[in-house]
Amino acid sequence: MNGRVLHFYLAGINNQNFLMRDKETGTWWQQITGKAIYGPLQGATLELVLSDELTFGEWRTESPSGQVLAPVAKYTKEYDPNWEPDIAKLPVVISFPGTELKSRDVVIGLTIDGTARAYPWETFAKQSPVIDRVNGTPLLLVLGPDGKSFRVFISRIDGHDAEFFLQGDAAGDAKQWALLDTSTASQWNFQGCATSGPAQGKCLGRIPALKDYWFDWRNYHPDTTVYKR
Amino acid sequence: MSVPSPSTPQDQRTQETDRRTSRWIWAAFTACASAAVGLFFIPAFIIRPFRYQAPHALLLAMALRQRAPLGTLIAGLACLVFAFVLWRTIGLWRKALLAITLLAVTFSAVMARLNYFEWMFHPVAGAQFVAQAESKLDPKEMVMAVRFDSDARAYPISQMAYHHVLNDVVGGVPVAVTY
Repeated sequence: MNGRVLHFYLAGINNQNFLMRDKETGTWWQQITGKAIYGPLQGATLELVLSDELTFGEWRTESPSGQVLAPVAKYTKEYDPNWEPDIAKLPVVISFPGTELKSRDVVIGLTIDGTARAYPWETFAKQSPVIDRVNGTPLLLVLGPDGKSFRVFISRIDGHDAEFFLQGDAAGDAKQWALLDTSTASQWNFQGCATSGPAQGKCLGRIPALKDYWFDWRNYHPDTTVYKR
Repeated sequence: MSVPSPSTPQDQRTQETDRRTSRWIWAAFTACASAAVGLFFIPAFIIRPFRYQAPHALLLAMALRQRAPLGTLIAGLACLVFAFVLWRTIGLWRKALLAITLLAVTFSAVMARLNYFEWMFHPVAGAQFVAQAESKLDPKEMVMAVRFDSDARAYPISQMAYHHVLNDVVGGVPVAVTY
């Protein structure tokens, strides 16, 4: 923040989205927004870094020299291999009755120039690749070859909007997995780069996206729309 | 041993003044004790897991918690002074009341300095990393990943769902990893 490195620690919970404080100033920050909500730096926002939610297998093939956080021996018993179903069982304290989704429905949430949209995970996983447009930006949401990883790209090749579809019989076979675009008929991998065809070597732009529960996404993005088929 | 002496109007006046002073000290002691205990317990009560946090209540909780380390110290010391003054003049029951209250005040002052959220979810002190080839992680496990140039890092979600926050530097960029 302003050239100063801050170190964060867990400091509390706000409707099941945690609060952290930094050791340097004691400011309180909201996890999901990166906003300073109280304290000396109130009003500031941390810069969101582009990140991925991938399977270890997918990440490993993409990052041969990558490093993995080692488990802390003291706490390995605390790590819950079943974290996803276990968290899903926890009660919720805020809900949005009358909205399209249930509180614990998983969505992919993204924001383009202040316009938020949520993509229900189930719909997305069935339809992938999903082509959409938010605030004028053409989007491509892709489920990875492992059926669990996901990425969101700007669906534009050399400034021209493009459409993509999954290559023929690739759905069941991770090794054959590739996207094809309708304008140049090039093959694209899950990293969003063309591996063969006229566009070879080109890569699509990325959009940060968050896998979240509907109640949490809706709470912080009251104006969000929900993607429908 | 003590022979009751007939009280003079002078004595009565002194006793009356003493009582009034003592009442003021009790009031001051109660105020300090409430402040110290409140500075810890009110935010702790508001920021409970699995409970709804109203926006204004959350603001109050953060404001109190922010001031609690210094506030409980000052209030606690003041309590101690008032308790010391009262101690010689009171009976056993009141002494017990004072002692219990002082215990609660001390507890609050200590807790205002400790992060009990980190007792539930311990932070990572000095994160260690292994080359991906050496990791025993199952290929189906989910990770959060960042990359800066050639520096790629993966944070297994099963681990981050416990630790919640991790401070790291990737490719020279300081990042806070959260889940």
